[in-house]
Amino acid sequence: MDMRELIERLTSRHKLGAPIFQRPDLTFVDLTDNDRLRALLVELRDIEGFTHLVLLTAVDWIEEGKFQLTYMLNNRAANQTLGLRVYLERKDPVEFTSIHDIWPTAETYQRELREMFGINFPGSPRVMDEFILEGWTDMPPYRRDFDTLAYSQQTYRDRPGRATNDPRDHMKSKMYPEG
Amino acid sequence: MGFRDVLSPFTAWKHVIDTPVTIKNPIGREAAERYRGFHQNDVDKCIGCGSCEDICQNAAIDMVAFAEPKPGDSGLRPNIDYGRCCWCALCVDVCMTGSLTMSNEYTWVDSDPDAFRFTPGVDAKPWDDIEKGYQRAGERMLTGLARPEMVEMAPEARADNFDEIVAGYSREQAVLEADRCVECGLCVATCPAHMDIPDYIAAIREGDYDLGTQILYETNPFSEVCGRVCTHKCETVCAAAHEGEPIAIRWLKRHIIDNVSEERRLEIVGTPQVASSGRKVAVIGAGPAGLTTAYDLARSGHKVVVYEAKDQPGGMTRYGIPEYRLPYDALDRDINVIKAQGVEIKTGVRIGNDIALDKLKAENDAVVLAIGLHLGRSTRVPGSDGAGVEAAIDLLARVTAGEAVPVPEKVAVIGGGNVAMDIARTMGRLQMQKYGKVGVTVTALEDFDHFLADKEEVKESFEEQIEILDGRGPQEVVRFKSGKQKGMVKGLKTWKVVSIFDRDGRFAPQYDEGDEVVHEAEMVIEAIGQMADVSLLGAELTEALEWNRGRIAVDAEGRTSEAWLWAGGDAVRGPDVIHAVADGHRIAASVNVALMAGKEAGA
Repeated sequence: MDMRELIERLTSRHKLGAPIFQRPDLTFVDLTDNDRLRALLVELRDIEGFTHLVLLTAVDWIEEGKFQLTYMLNNRAANQTLGLRVYLERKDPVEFTSIHDIWPTAETYQRELREMFGINFPGSPRVMDEFILEGWTDMPPYRRDFDTLAYSQQTYRDRPGRATNDPRDHMKSKMYPEG
Repeated sequence: MGFRDVLSPFTAWKHVIDTPVTIKNPIGREAAERYRGFHQNDVDKCIGCGSCEDICQNAAIDMVAFAEPKPGDSGLRPNIDYGRCCWCALCVDVCMTGSLTMSNEYTWVDSDPDAFRFTPGVDAKPWDDIEKGYQRAGERMLTGLARPEMVEMAPEARADNFDEIVAGYSREQAVLEADRCVECGLCVATCPAHMDIPDYIAAIREGDYDLGTQILYETNPFSEVCGRVCTHKCETVCAAAHEGEPIAIRWLKRHIIDNVSEERRLEIVGTPQVASSGRKVAVIGAGPAGLTTAYDLARSGHKVVVYEAKDQPGGMTRYGIPEYRLPYDALDRDINVIKAQGVEIKTGVRIGNDIALDKLKAENDAVVLAIGLHLGRSTRVPGSDGAGVEAAIDLLARVTAGEAVPVPEKVAVIGGGNVAMDIARTMGRLQMQKYGKVGVTVTALEDFDHFLADKEEVKESFEEQIEILDGRGPQEVVRFKSGKQKGMVKGLKTWKVVSIFDRDGRFAPQYDEGDEVVHEAEMVIEAIGQMADVSLLGAELTEALEWNRGRIAVDAEGRTSEAWLWAGGDAVRGPDVIHAVADGHRIAASVNVALMAGKEAGA
């Protein structure tokens, strides 16, 4: 399967960004019309042979105010992987269309994304159930504005006897204490 | 439920005789080659900068004392709490020296929970020497390796003028450079004035130049000067220099001051906010040491008068350093802020000639000597007495003062330090103006591997067509023996240097007499060091004072053996601007304590 030909074929009917041919067997492309995601996925699955959803993951582009979702699809017969990317506005509540009815495994990924990034997929089974974080009350921890260090300091106590030194102050006290 | 669902569990039985893929006893199984297992630290390579502690998202790392601090090494080493560590390896990725790594060991059993707080490399562990495990691929990547390139005037454009060479960083360049700094603060101990370097770099990143200026002035009233010509010892101990270039601390300092107008600076620094003490201090010498002393004392409420023999204040920063490195208006801006504190500078007044030192002693509560090093040393080789042989420091001062100096077509310079480069490049410029070509030969005792002048100075000298010959010792200033030019300088005779110091490290140059060259020159300039002109002291005081190898002896606070007299700066410490500034602060603090004690005692 020639991925360049595939992208060309799809571009005639879908709004795609510039593709990245990262490896002979790995291609990434942005879909710029989010409403067409399901149609494109179904077409890729049923017509183009991308029958397997490898994974669904997200990136928090906090500076651009966007979340990126990456749908990694695989065509086993052709040994080709396609990473299809869409961008969501990064403002709460963040919701996106569920694809659990296209690939049932998406249900698990969507549950994870809801928990770790706070991206909801209404209609996805058990999407509001806890995934790995039990009793989590803070901001979704994979968001870049989540302060991991502050959370860790608030949540876990230090072992007694811990003490640290600031290099600069330590050197001053030892090397030039008078100022 | 279909027929297939009933049958499928039984199909698994066909694997019952296969070799199992699981491992019977997983304990002791080696992890993958790049597994992020237990930490290792090469404590000799580690500098205790604490970047690992700062980046740790679990607050798992403490910096604990391991050895005595020394320049460029805090003596601290990371102690890791495995009750908190998540083995993300950010500490390994950020490590400035590459000392911190991870082994692929991952099993450790102990009944004492405190055993899992340990200092890798210090507390011996079985995995210390395991080579497999996670290491950074290549050099550090979280903070950049190279500083932005400074825009400089091209050699052809600068060869015949004294315009400033270095352009200074733009905002974009400065932010990029500030972002490379991990703010460890190892540099602060090495800076003689202990400037708050990480803090002013942080101010650049925040774009807060007012704050930056305020931080600079807390430790140094000569930021225009030091932002350009500081010897930047701080950069030699920078954590970033272990892999890549050190942070351009000097250029960042200059960037702050470049972005704050003189008026704004006066607003930020303000004027003395204390009541007048009624005490009077005389400072002799308006160089960085004298003026820093004056600045501090004025801000403590004392009346300070600075006496300067030359026509302009600034000392060696004006009369020694050429304008292409430090423009006079930049120096003037620094001095204007000092004057605004109520410091009176009387220029063109030579103590000893115009006013007697005794008079100053009688009329003031304290006197500070900061007279610098304005007498050039001579090689005293045959022929060095007489016309055509000049001291570099005199010539530089005369060029600054606008006096006409002799500019022959061919000049030989003796010396390999920064002053030698300064005079060579100054003469080169004057020759370009007069003849359209450069004819300067510098002969230095040291070879290029042990050169005294800064690398940048040597590089820029070469760019300006200065000839520099290393490892050559002066033997004679050759003069015409007859004819119309009888007695005039013909050249400089040098021998090849075999060694400079003897076995005991004493200065005793050995030469290869067979390798003799006479460098054609109409003028020979000696740039082999300077001395203080202490004639102002007079015989009686010279006798009374304690001396240390030809310099006035002072204690840690700058007090001489005479209770009313302090001394500092180049004349006492040797030549260096930032040392002079640091000295100025020390002396001012000491004088202030003495004056306030005297005031309380009602003296």
